[in-house]
Amino acid sequence: MTAVTALAAVGEVAAVTAARAVKAPMGELRLDIGVRNGRSLATGQYHRGALRVIRPHYLDDSGQVCYVTVNPGGAYLGGDLYTMDITVAEHARLLLTTQSATKIYKTPNSYAEQRLAVKLAANSSLEYMPGQLIAYRGAAYRQSALIEMDASASLIMAEVLTPGWSPDGTPFRYEQLRLRNEIRYGGELLAIDNVLLTPTSAGTAAVVGRPVADIAGLAFMEGFSHLGSLLVVDARIDAALVAELQQLLLKYEPDTLTGISLLNGPGFVVRALAGSTTVLTSMMDELTGLLRERWFGQAPLNLRKY
Amino acid sequence: MGSQEVPPVPPSYLLPLLQLCDSALPNGAFSHSFGLETYLARGVVHDEEGFTAWLRQFIGQQLVYSDGLALRLVIEALERGALAEVWELDRRVTAQALPLQLRGAGIKMGLRMVEIGSGIFPTPELDEYSAQISAGRCAGHTAVAFALTAHGLRIPLAQLLPAYFFSTATSLTQNAVRAIPLGQTAGQRVLRLMHDDVAAAATAVMTLEPGDLGAVAPGLEIAQMRHEYQRARMFMS
Repeated sequence: MTAVTALAAVGEVAAVTAARAVKAPMGELRLDIGVRNGRSLATGQYHRGALRVIRPHYLDDSGQVCYVTVNPGGAYLGGDLYTMDITVAEHARLLLTTQSATKIYKTPNSYAEQRLAVKLAANSSLEYMPGQLIAYRGAAYRQSALIEMDASASLIMAEVLTPGWSPDGTPFRYEQLRLRNEIRYGGELLAIDNVLLTPTSAGTAAVVGRPVADIAGLAFMEGFSHLGSLLVVDARIDAALVAELQQLLLKYEPDTLTGISLLNGPGFVVRALAGSTTVLTSMMDELTGLLRERWFGQAPLNLRKY
Repeated sequence: MGSQEVPPVPPSYLLPLLQLCDSALPNGAFSHSFGLETYLARGVVHDEEGFTAWLRQFIGQQLVYSDGLALRLVIEALERGALAEVWELDRRVTAQALPLQLRGAGIKMGLRMVEIGSGIFPTPELDEYSAQISAGRCAGHTAVAFALTAHGLRIPLAQLLPAYFFSTATSLTQNAVRAIPLGQTAGQRVLRLMHDDVAAAATAVMTLEPGDLGAVAPGLEIAQMRHEYQRARMFMS
């Protein structure tokens, strides 16, 4: 190695380290939701950089407020950090979604990252239904959510991961997706929901962990392309409800392969594999629709059509 | 000693490790398929080749990201004398097991392992773990109980991880021999093929971040969940 290339290598390592160490958020959002005259709304709001919310709206007369986050840059890039801090006060109800799909572009030096921290007070609720995640060729992304909820609060959160995007249409050309949700319920750790996908295309971005030989195959995607997760925590959840929802899931087979299970407390998780975002979205809309109707007397959501 | 040969002395932990990893250890592993039975019912795994592919994924994913990482983190916490961290790891390893039956298997086998460990290789830490479980502060988990026992015996992690992995692979192979069914010799062929996977899995565990605990392959998790509502079942998970 010549002195010049050695220096360049050192410089590269330093750049990677710096990108990881500094992490000045590219976008920040703080949203405090309270209730006034029976309607939920932001009592505190702050945003900076490439993350903001558009004017709140109400999809029905339940009082639940809907905020839509917008990333004016359109996509996450390498080294980008986005942070969201959300609090929902007693009896307040928030529906949080994104204006469009979350796109992660190529991240050559360091992964892009989003951190979400949520505090749900007594009898409050959060429905978090972000758009699908699309990781482009060469993208590495980390997403973490820490939800601290009162035992009387209600949480519904969904996620749809696509096989990503590459110029030649080949799926799973991203480097790595790490998605981690940690839920603390009534002060106790209830669930850690961890998804880590490292396809064999890994090699251009700084990722930790070994690539998986056949991400589309056995034990991972089982021949499907899209992965959906639904995490619901609410004191009203029991084994009977899980069995009822399991029956609903059956009608989406064989287009999907799904599993549902009761968490270590009043909550459940659904993991679903499918061939498109559409089928996953319809499936989740039906499940959450049933819960919205039963628990809150609300109609099913119809946020977006892909 | 002059020309006299030094008699061969095995490390003090060798026989305890063999005993703990023997398939005769009554930890209940023979009644758990950890999702394999779902693959059998779907016809995805039905022969030696299919089982080899499945076991490879189970070792490289499930064992690395749950039990393997838990073993390592518990041993590292014990080396720092940080018992509170061990109890926290018990809660984390329970919380990361999203499928109900998988979580149940970890707890059930964990309680058996605490009993076995306390009975044959007692340590104050195992007693304390037992007390934490009785008080409802910990759930009990195989990997945590195994690590506590192993730490008392001074079994190095480099030996502990592959031994634990291979022992689990052996129980699963015996279950597959009964359930698929496969011949006993076929089972031994599969196990022989797992040697490199077990070694690679042990190496992989050392590269993980603590936050990776529970990053298990989604297809495996789905199979473990689907086992709950499968009609005919030989196994508890």
